[in-house]
Amino acid sequence: MLLTLPATAAMAVFFVAPIAIFVVYSFLTAQLYDVSRPFTFDAYAAALDSPLNRTLARNSIEIGLLSAVCSVALALPVAYWLRYATGRWRMVVLFLITASMFASYLVRIYAWRTMLGEHGVVNSALQSLGLIDHPLGFLIFNRFAVTVALVHIFLPYAVLVLFAGFQPIRPGLLEAAQDLGAGSYMRFRRVILPLVAAPALSAFLFVFVLSASDYVTPQFVGGSSGVMLGVQVQANFTTVGNYPLGAATSLLMLAAFVALYLAMRIGLRLARLDRVRFS
Amino acid sequence: MTVRSRGALAITIAALLFLYVPLVVVVLFSFHNTGSLSLPFTGFSLRWYRFVLSDPGFRSALENSLFVAAWTSAVTLVLGTLASFGLARTRSRLRGPLALLFFLPITLPGLFIGLAMLVFFVRTTLNLSLTTVIIAHCVYVFPYFLLIAIAALERLDPALEEAAADLGANGWLRFWRVTMPQIWPLLAGATCLAFALSFDEFVITFFVIGPDGTLPLYIWSQLRRTVDPSINVVSTLLMTVTLVLWLAAFLFALRAARRRAASGDELVAEVVPL
Repeated sequence: MLLTLPATAAMAVFFVAPIAIFVVYSFLTAQLYDVSRPFTFDAYAAALDSPLNRTLARNSIEIGLLSAVCSVALALPVAYWLRYATGRWRMVVLFLITASMFASYLVRIYAWRTMLGEHGVVNSALQSLGLIDHPLGFLIFNRFAVTVALVHIFLPYAVLVLFAGFQPIRPGLLEAAQDLGAGSYMRFRRVILPLVAAPALSAFLFVFVLSASDYVTPQFVGGSSGVMLGVQVQANFTTVGNYPLGAATSLLMLAAFVALYLAMRIGLRLARLDRVRFS
Repeated sequence: MTVRSRGALAITIAALLFLYVPLVVVVLFSFHNTGSLSLPFTGFSLRWYRFVLSDPGFRSALENSLFVAAWTSAVTLVLGTLASFGLARTRSRLRGPLALLFFLPITLPGLFIGLAMLVFFVRTTLNLSLTTVIIAHCVYVFPYFLLIAIAALERLDPALEEAAADLGANGWLRFWRVTMPQIWPLLAGATCLAFALSFDEFVITFFVIGPDGTLPLYIWSQLRRTVDPSINVVSTLLMTVTLVLWLAAFLFALRAARRRAASGDELVAEVVPL
């Protein structure tokens, strides 16, 4: 137990203390790039009142939901295949998916800018094929581009979470269902879905939280319709200099994430899907 | 295959294309012989590599990134190994709360950690520099390292250490001659992973970095100025380094798993968390 002491001390000083100070800041009065007393709830009131914040929060929620839904919907069949396919390709695909996780976050955002831009790869390819005369303008600088980039970033994580979720479901269960006459939809609906509901929801929450709080992707591919709350929070610290407002806004975001997590836990319990056993 | 899954196979192939085509395009255009980033691709050249490698800004960013990642992984290796032994071998009631503390950074969005760190460093008047980046990276990387280290320790067969103790080996001897030979591949893998995570980190780094940039920061500032294949070159180099490190971590884990001669499926399940 003594062995954990150095790490505990380091985490207390460099992780717990910063968060505590951050919370205190959200209750202080804003000065330009500084704070002062008295303690107030002004920053929270301002964060909740601001019409800009509301618009951006709506953007964040919508983009976050869309990315999370797309990631999980795409990851489900991939994880299913990874779990139940046989042969050496399975290891290769698993390897490729895991390796793609280590492609740099910034590089992925940049990659989608080169893909979707006005003179990007997609437009120039379509033009040289003669399918379009003018570049498609709706590909970049909007929510669509942000969502595509975020799904690209988080899909591998979603696949691995679901793959782990599939691990305990032995192929025998599916074969039994198949022998009893269940088609692929029935097998999915009645056997797989109840068993992977919990991991699928954790993948969903994971992608949602990280997408909705992203502040980099919108700045490069988001244009004006794809701006999100994280960008504004970042601006409060870097260019606006209103620390309490930024702290309060991000703590409200965090509170919303925790509330969503609790709601999902309760939902799973009510649906009796939280304690499904396999044997 | 007894369970039919042709639709799932088609989607898997589509997902792989979706994941890899944009990255392949980035790498491909790093070798372009003109400044254009769109089709048609007119020919291969190393001119952008020469251009980037002779840029002093790139070199200092590379050095800074290596410096930060080396310190981060070294500190994480020491603190993480100690903490994993402490956590895995205790029945204390503090185990739960400590694990919560150690794993909390994984659950928080990077934006939040970065901002809290920024406020902390401003408040304690620690000047933003590569040191503050190293501190922030250690907090960020620590839980990932710990996850692997604890998993490695929990899989150990306690009978081996007991046997060594019965044969008269003291604590140090048991640690170096019995425990370490079994877990070092996974610790080495986890250290590679820590290095890779630190080397590529941007979201937190952005807030706690001073005047010296790291490689991701270099890409960021380039992205705001120009768009030419030199960004592709830096991107390709960055991805190569992280990929090689991850590959090393993967091979270490595979080696550790093979030693226990696990079955194919167990092997997969064990290697995947990396």
